[in-house]
Amino acid sequence: MKTFKFTESLKMSLRSITSNKIRSFLTALGVMIGVAAVITLVALGNGSQKAVETSLQSLGSNLLIVYSGQPKGPSLVRRNTTNIAPALSKDDLEFIKSLPESMVLHAAPESSASGQVKYGNTNTGATVVGTDTGYAAIRNFHPIYGSFFTQSDIDARKPVAVIGSQVYKDLFDSGFDPLGQKIRINGIGFKVIGIMEEKGSSSTDTQVFIPISTFQKYISGSSKYALINIQAANLETMRELQKFIEDELLHMHRIASMDAADFYIANQLDLLSTMEGVAGTFTLLLASIAAISLIVGGIGIMNIMLVAVTERTREIGIRMSLGAKSKDILSQFLTEAIILSVGGGLIGIFIGISAAYGANRFGGMASVISVQSILLAFGFAVITGLFFGGYPAYQASKLDPIEALRYE
Amino acid sequence: MIKIKNLSRYYQMGPTTVKAIDDIDLSIGGGEFVSIIGPSGSGKSTLMNIIGCLDSPTSGTYTLAGEETAALSKDMLAEIRNRHIGFVFQNFNLLPRESAVENVELPLIYAGVPVKERRQRALEILKRVDLEGREFHLPNELSGGQRQRVAIARALAVNPKILLADEPTGALDTKTGAQIMDLFRELQSEGVTLIMVTHDRDVAAQGKRIVEIRDGHILTDVPAEEWEK
Ligand SMILES: Nc1ncnc2c1ncn2[C@@H]1O[C@H](COP(=O)(O)OP(=O)(O)O)[C@@H](O)[C@H]1O
Ligand SMILES: [Mg+2]
Repeated sequence: MKTFKFTESLKMSLRSITSNKIRSFLTALGVMIGVAAVITLVALGNGSQKAVETSLQSLGSNLLIVYSGQPKGPSLVRRNTTNIAPALSKDDLEFIKSLPESMVLHAAPESSASGQVKYGNTNTGATVVGTDTGYAAIRNFHPIYGSFFTQSDIDARKPVAVIGSQVYKDLFDSGFDPLGQKIRINGIGFKVIGIMEEKGSSSTDTQVFIPISTFQKYISGSSKYALINIQAANLETMRELQKFIEDELLHMHRIASMDAADFYIANQLDLLSTMEGVAGTFTLLLASIAAISLIVGGIGIMNIMLVAVTERTREIGIRMSLGAKSKDILSQFLTEAIILSVGGGLIGIFIGISAAYGANRFGGMASVISVQSILLAFGFAVITGLFFGGYPAYQASKLDPIEALRYE
Repeated sequence: MIKIKNLSRYYQMGPTTVKAIDDIDLSIGGGEFVSIIGPSGSGKSTLMNIIGCLDSPTSGTYTLAGEETAALSKDMLAEIRNRHIGFVFQNFNLLPRESAVENVELPLIYAGVPVKERRQRALEILKRVDLEGREFHLPNELSGGQRQRVAIARALAVNPKILLADEPTGALDTKTGAQIMDLFRELQSEGVTLIMVTHDRDVAAQGKRIVEIRDGHILTDVPAEEWEK
């Protein structure tokens, strides 16, 4: 007994698919969009997660930041530090700097203000940051050309500036050596002594660094700091260190508890886990939207296949009268549904990858295409075909030959 | 070859039972040419469908080539339809999107005949029914007589022992109907068992044996020479 071959189902299915191209395309479109959506959205989700991680890593490692003001929670990675009213004193800084190297590697004060930077007739907006020599090490952010200011620059309150890479691009022609050039920050003359490396983040690359003493004298007029950056000696004891500094500063400020404090300490670990949590939720959300659209695509296939079975009842009757068995009919319709979903899935993968790439290339969005999401989406498309095509195919195979032949 | 005993086929239509076939006995030997005649609604098609293993009786037995069909599975019945029975219907029942030769190939597909052999056999049979040059036409590009010949070619594709024709000339004019009848006589002379249903007495008279049915019962069953039109 010879059995009906798969290649025959394949041929029959391709015939019926190509004989109604527009309908076949529309049927597959649901799956196409579903698969493309999964791939693109997961890529964007992963991309934003990755971007958050990179931006957190670029902050430096083992970072604790003491902020002036009321606690705001750990969710703001790059707070707009220009709005912070400086409330941390030199005593606070000296105390932190006095801690042994087994606790704190570096500490650096930081105050900032938004400013206008001018070179000749060229003008650009920048964040002016006053800090000291420890900053570069703590934030792992160094000059790529020239050098950072030194302790003697700070002691002498020298008007020297290290400019961010974007500030350099805005003010100078590319290739021009700016060292020793005079720029004006809010009308005050500064000598350029270095260019910072490029971090790829606009908020980071539009900064101009000047000695904290100079900042206090010419820009803020206050002897306090907005924040103090601390590099902890090791990651494991960061939370203990945070608690210790909190307690000591409360004592120094004569404040009873953190609820009433005029400062708070953000811990990079907290930031990291919060941001990763947020980004993870985001990815999950996008993935569920995508999964829903896949299911909708599957229902589209089922709908069309049910219509096709009804429409082709007579054909099924004729085939049965000529010797088609239930499983031949089942295989014919199931193959058709699977071809539509797999075909839709393959095109969807192509569209999804292109869209993720395009969003990155032309939309400036971070996207990381994951192989898992491609496999997942494709597997889902195949299962969609089997599952949603299975029912109509089963219905077709169970038709009574006489009833089917009599169907008008 | 065909043995039918106390065979009935009832349809339940709500509270009423339609006795389409009611307690029929009928035997048909290999190579016969039997005409079944009766008015519309007398149960001819129902009987044909049972003989063709498309339908099963409500009660009674149908034995085909020594095998009682009630004992056979659906798949085995499908196989019998495929290998041993050829069907010709009044309305041709061709697949409209397939060409003549593709329609003829259908039973060969289900018989598992390889592609090349299939095409070759289908073309030969189409030649046999005088459809050379029309092989790649779609059904709607063919006349009624040509379509019925495609249907006959399809029924003959697997060399069945039995050819069942339900009102094969019903949709054709007298002249093309006569051509079909010529073809049937030729087939019978080659040893095919032919059973033909009609309500036309002239067409019925072409058979070698006449079975008249009315209201699901057999009225007369005589050789053609003894039959009074
Ligand atoms: N599927 C069915 N459901 C209900 N009644 C049916 C069905 N098929 C046939 N019948 C009835 O059975 C009787 C015989 O029908 P049929 O065999 O088609 O007659 P014929 O072919 O001689 O015109 C008719 O009364 C018809 O209405
Ligand atoms: Mg009938």
